[in-house]
Amino acid sequence: MPITPMEVYKLLPKTNCKKCGEQTCMSFAFKLINREKKLEDCIPLFEEKKYAIQLKELQKLLEPLKEATETGLIVDEQLCVGCGNCVVVCPVHAADDPKGMGSGFGPTIDDPILRMEDGVVKVIEMMKCRRYGKNRVLCVACRENCPTDAIRFLEG
Amino acid sequence: MKFGKFIRKTTIGIVVVRDSLQGEVADNKFGEEFWKRSAVLYLHPEYAREMGFREGDVVELEKDGRTLRLRVLYSDTAPEEGAMMPNSIFSNFLIGENKKRFAASIAPSDGDVTEVDEIVFSNTN
Amino acid sequence: MATCTGCSCLCPDIVVQAGVLNACRKGSSIFMHSKDNRAKPMVSGREVDMEVALEKATEMLSSSEKLAIYGMDTIPLEAQEVAIKLAERKEAFIDDNSTFCLGDFVEMVLRGILPSTTLDEAKSNAYVIFYWGTDPFQSLSRHMSLYTYYPRAGKRQRGYEEDRYLVVVDVRRSHTAKLAKKNARFIKVDSDDALVEGFLSTMDGRAGNYYEDTARILKEMQRGRFNVIFGGLGLKYGLKGKYEKFVEMMRKMNELAEVYFIPAGFHANMRGFNELMFEKTGFVNRYSFDTETSRPEYEFSELVRNDAIDTALVIGSDPVNSLPFDVAQKLRKKNLILIDPKLSLTSKIAEVVIPSAITGVDQGGTMVRSDGVRIKIDPLWEAEWSDRKILNELLRGVR
Repeated sequence: MPITPMEVYKLLPKTNCKKCGEQTCMSFAFKLINREKKLEDCIPLFEEKKYAIQLKELQKLLEPLKEATETGLIVDEQLCVGCGNCVVVCPVHAADDPKGMGSGFGPTIDDPILRMEDGVVKVIEMMKCRRYGKNRVLCVACRENCPTDAIRFLEG
Repeated sequence: MKFGKFIRKTTIGIVVVRDSLQGEVADNKFGEEFWKRSAVLYLHPEYAREMGFREGDVVELEKDGRTLRLRVLYSDTAPEEGAMMPNSIFSNFLIGENKKRFAASIAPSDGDVTEVDEIVFSNTN
Repeated sequence: MATCTGCSCLCPDIVVQAGVLNACRKGSSIFMHSKDNRAKPMVSGREVDMEVALEKATEMLSSSEKLAIYGMDTIPLEAQEVAIKLAERKEAFIDDNSTFCLGDFVEMVLRGILPSTTLDEAKSNAYVIFYWGTDPFQSLSRHMSLYTYYPRAGKRQRGYEEDRYLVVVDVRRSHTAKLAKKNARFIKVDSDDALVEGFLSTMDGRAGNYYEDTARILKEMQRGRFNVIFGGLGLKYGLKGKYEKFVEMMRKMNELAEVYFIPAGFHANMRGFNELMFEKTGFVNRYSFDTETSRPEYEFSELVRNDAIDTALVIGSDPVNSLPFDVAQKLRKKNLILIDPKLSLTSKIAEVVIPSAITGVDQGGTMVRSDGVRIKIDPLWEAEWSDRKILNELLRGVR
């Protein structure tokens, strides 16, 4: 289940103190989910005892994001057969490597988002995925073409 | 004679298929992985519930006097009515002219899943 | 770059360094496990020197009066040629897996009964990609991403959502079937004949079985102008050996648009064996160099069942695993020579085991892809004893 900014906001101090660098706690909540900010950036949450319970709950809520922090895209290797559909279908790959991945082959560039290694798909350069960053879009191309649901997204 | 053999003994249609994860370990047919991924019977979860089989159960298939015990696994790619198993020495133990489909009788089993060597060195005809 | 010989896709873009890049699960395992479980020369279950095993094999072949050579679908053309020569020298039977796999379809393609094309043409031009009785996701994992539905090439630059129409026909909702979503159709069949009839009816202007599905697909074929049907084992066994209606259906479809047939896939060089045999004898499999013809009873399984042979030379196959039980049982009583790179269930019952090489890893050669294109394969390194060298040695010594 995707984590929503509202769920996160409810557990924050909600003082808009701006110590994290954001104008509002809601804005911080969004940035937390997109991994543009870390929980540690909210100084009062860690320094003030009255937020102890909220901190614990927040850490629990954001636990799945921790793994996703490194990859964002999760591949369940037990389910992946190495069909390459996700690698070829990716619109970023089609644009960056038209004669390679765009045409069905393995990558001819060094930093694809995904590639097949030892028979299963591995995430290499997650940040190139269109789902992340400032102008993110809700792209589900890889997930839609994985019939075993091996590839998944882990954020809201 | 197992009492359970006479209860719910019913005929089931089985489709033989290729399975990538089984194919991956087929270069070592003596290994446990090959056995684990070959001596299985895939059932659609809804059909399994109707039949009264849970994942992990051992079932006994019988055809023309030959019996085989396999572990039940769920798969939503299995036929809605019937079952599915990977192409291997196990499926070939029961197969007939049609290498893709055959019918066998199925019943719950208290025994252990058949081992590869049991078939290789079997003396039944 | 290496070529993978895991199946008839013969993917040419594999990179083997610290790990294996670009190969599917099955293909990767060939490279990753290449050093595991390798066969050793054996006679009567005891390890011997290679020369001893070769000598014993030559002896067995020489004294054989009714020999069958079987397998060969995983070795290169250059080695298959020697095996065929050996069969000819001994007036032996020769057969491979295609007899119970897609040999029928390969034969129809080679005879021109079914129009065919290449995977590269399919990639560049095909609109309707039709998988009939096959689950490439499991059996030919990169088929759809490297050759058919997903790549952007030639006239199909806009990707699968706009430039391809996927059709999947199967008795169950396989993984491949799950991919038939928007611009696509999944047809669940119980009888493939019924669907063939359905297409014929619709083309005749009558509403028969599967009317809605067939009407839509035929329309898409007309729209796409270049289309390919990939037929697998489900189709073969579904049609129960009677192909006339299917051939008629293909012919009629070709009055509406270009509709080609490519056998979906099989062992890496099964088609190579079929093509060599066809060129030499006019038949693709189950052949006797004694009677100089092909008959159903010359199928390897039948020869074993009917005690029609006294010796079997099995090359690159594991019949104890892949043939029906009664055949596997009977093989135990035959004089069996096995040439294989790995220890297998058949190696447990063989009189002689001769270790050979793995194509693409430690032996090279030419193999024929499922669409008939010849692929030259360079190995990563060269083993001392390739299949070709072993077979030449046997051919040299046999009487």
